[in-house]
Amino acid sequence: MSVTDAVIDVRGLTKSFGRFPALRGLDLQVERGQVHGFLGPNGAGKSTTVRVLLGLLRADGGTVRLLGEDPWDDVVPLHRRLAYVPGDVSLWPGMSGGEAIDLLGTMRGGLDERRRAELVERFELDPTKRGRQYSKGNRQKVAIVAALASDVELLILDEPTSGLDPLMEHVFQEAVGEARRRGATVLLSSHVMAEVESLADRISIIREGRVVRSGTLADLRGDTRSTVHAVLERAPDSRALATLHDVRLDGHALSATVESDRIGEAMTVLTGFGLTSLTVEPPSLESLFLRLYGDGAGAATSPAATR
Amino acid sequence: MTAAVGTARVPARRARGGATTGAAPLLAATLRHDGRRFAPWVAVVTLLSASSVLVYPWVFPSAASRLALATAVGANPAIGLVFGPADDLTTPDGFNAWRALALGGFLAALGAIFAVVRATRAQEDSGQAELLASGVLGRGSRLLAGVALALIGSLVLGTVACLVTVLCGGGWGPSALIAATFVATGWMFAGVAAVTSQLGSDARTASSMAVGTLGTLYLLRGVALSLDAPAWTSWVNPMSWTVETHPATEAVWWPLLLTVALTAVLLAVASVLQSRRDFGQGAIAPGPGPARGRDTGPGRLAVRLNRGLVVTWSVAFVLLGTVFGFFATSVTDIVGADPAVRQVLAAGATSPDQLVSAFLVTILSLLGIIAAVPGIQVVLKVRSEELDDRVEPLLATALARPRYLAGNVLTALATSTLCVLVAGMVLAGVASAGDVGVAFGDALLQAVATVPAVWTVVAVSVAVVGAHPAVSLAAWLGVLASFGLTLLGPTFGLDDWVLGISPFWHVPNVTAASVDLTGLLWVTLVTAVLLAVGFAGFRRRDLAR
Repeated sequence: MSVTDAVIDVRGLTKSFGRFPALRGLDLQVERGQVHGFLGPNGAGKSTTVRVLLGLLRADGGTVRLLGEDPWDDVVPLHRRLAYVPGDVSLWPGMSGGEAIDLLGTMRGGLDERRRAELVERFELDPTKRGRQYSKGNRQKVAIVAALASDVELLILDEPTSGLDPLMEHVFQEAVGEARRRGATVLLSSHVMAEVESLADRISIIREGRVVRSGTLADLRGDTRSTVHAVLERAPDSRALATLHDVRLDGHALSATVESDRIGEAMTVLTGFGLTSLTVEPPSLESLFLRLYGDGAGAATSPAATR
Repeated sequence: MTAAVGTARVPARRARGGATTGAAPLLAATLRHDGRRFAPWVAVVTLLSASSVLVYPWVFPSAASRLALATAVGANPAIGLVFGPADDLTTPDGFNAWRALALGGFLAALGAIFAVVRATRAQEDSGQAELLASGVLGRGSRLLAGVALALIGSLVLGTVACLVTVLCGGGWGPSALIAATFVATGWMFAGVAAVTSQLGSDARTASSMAVGTLGTLYLLRGVALSLDAPAWTSWVNPMSWTVETHPATEAVWWPLLLTVALTAVLLAVASVLQSRRDFGQGAIAPGPGPARGRDTGPGRLAVRLNRGLVVTWSVAFVLLGTVFGFFATSVTDIVGADPAVRQVLAAGATSPDQLVSAFLVTILSLLGIIAAVPGIQVVLKVRSEELDDRVEPLLATALARPRYLAGNVLTALATSTLCVLVAGMVLAGVASAGDVGVAFGDALLQAVATVPAVWTVVAVSVAVVGAHPAVSLAAWLGVLASFGLTLLGPTFGLDDWVLGISPFWHVPNVTAASVDLTGLLWVTLVTAVLLAVGFAGFRRRDLAR
């Protein structure tokens, strides 16, 4: 990755609230034109990172460059080039959704009128309702429309789809895809696995204020094993099964796990015992996250953690 | 046998469920969590009533001064707008009835309205009610609990006010009757709020309707009282019923029965309306808002968010200006006769002319201190918006922090200025018409001269909210200090340097032979420093923490 082309370049970022260290040396690089998934358990420091990137919080230590500028000192020119969707949108109770979109849009420096109308349509948003009448999902839509209707280089989305129904989630994914095709860079913090899987080019996983893994989805999957379920004609001998892990043999039915790059090898071995049925599941993103979020991740199972 | 019948009945009744099932535990929980929100209302009304009997003998020690007060009040039609019946101003209890009866009832009613709306409508808005309603809870239980909270709260308010007033020297009979009128007014408006909570579709609409009703009836009562309107006008207005008790003279209790009857009727209406409406809906559906926005900057946003506050306070200052204007016309009667009052309201004046102009300076300073309140509220709104996560998305746009704060601070200063000028204009109009040697121009100029001091008090809150919002209560320090020093300072004979802490001490008397403006320059310098502290702090600190 060439550092000069990084839209977001964070190195050794630290931030404490009182005596609680929220970020303890966070590194994050996001390349231009990519959708970067930013994942981690609750309280890991995702929103704190986002707020530092937005210049709302002041970094205690480390360097933070956003589009080549400093998020604390160059707030105004920088914010003309980015848009933000918070995870918990709070609207002004007496202001209609349409007014809120226009307010945020004008303050950013203008919206694309055609796209604004189109997004309102696609998200099935009633812009004449007042802030206090919107449901959680609809408040979220207001912020999403306001952000996506502006022509910006960088979109910072902090759990943007919390509260959206699956249909709207789909519309959101399409709209973010279009933004990427326009050349926008996206930092997407999310808990929705399907969203990350379909949108993100690269992923960083944050735990306890540090990025513990970073890479493409394939990279992260690389050292996770696929699951194999097979029914065999003959019971295999244990020496032949050296390529497999977690072997459970129930008569002729075998279940085991295998490293993703040794699947072919394992198939050859199993074929020798007469395969009558076979399923191979790639590691689900969910199991990947469960493993990476859980205690002891990073240290024991991922020596290749990028730091 | 009877026991068998009894046990057979209970499950049958439980299966259908009463409209008020679960009201008792809900009320207990509501009292525990929301009960203390009634405490400020209890405190303010108690202070109002008790301070009357406490201060009276001290401010009006002689029979002559008391008669002078009675004459002045009698000659002043505007006073009735705010205060109660001036039946007998020669006793502490009569003074208390005049000062506290109407105003205390008004405050008790406000407390009751907010309690009912909070426990019913606001809960539906926040979704709390949905959680409750899904439990084993009768349809009418939430309304019942909310209303009971207001009724009990009003009762506590009356009891405390009565006891403390008696302890401070009030007579048992009059104090109890005055306190009973507080309770009665609180009860009636608990009923009104219970009805408006069924009509409006959200908490804001419901409380606006109830407070609007209260304000209108209160003013009509005042107008009827000050114009000596025909008797029937006071019998059609529930707010006048409490006045008809005349606590200090005839002490009639039976008008209170009317208030209880009205409360019962209103509650019955509310419960019928409640049983017929859908959850979360009201009779008055909210209208759609505009699909497109026109607010384009932080200043216009600040104005919009504070519109209601600005309008309400402007109306209040028209009233205050009227009342103080009439005070000014009768100032020689009230103040002239009494050295103690003169000490407070017109320190240092020797001739009648000086007396009037010194009084104008004091009265406009008081108005200025009150005018700082809406300004500080606007500034504190910055903090509450920040805590509600509504500043974050704004500052994520190309809006710089200083510009955001500047929009709000300008709105705050403009609001306070508007209030002072509105009141000053009305006051000048009323006072100059009263033939006491006050020129319209002089009075208005005096109001203008007060404005810089008001800004200083508002600037204190800017410094607090900008630099150290964790102690946002400190935003009120300026008001507190100015009020204490302006009103009590002269009486206690404090040194000039102590009095000088209040910016209002530096306000020049514009009618004086040589007007000294150096004081205002210093005050403005302090304002500038405070604003600079606020802006520097707001630029440097973490937001939404």
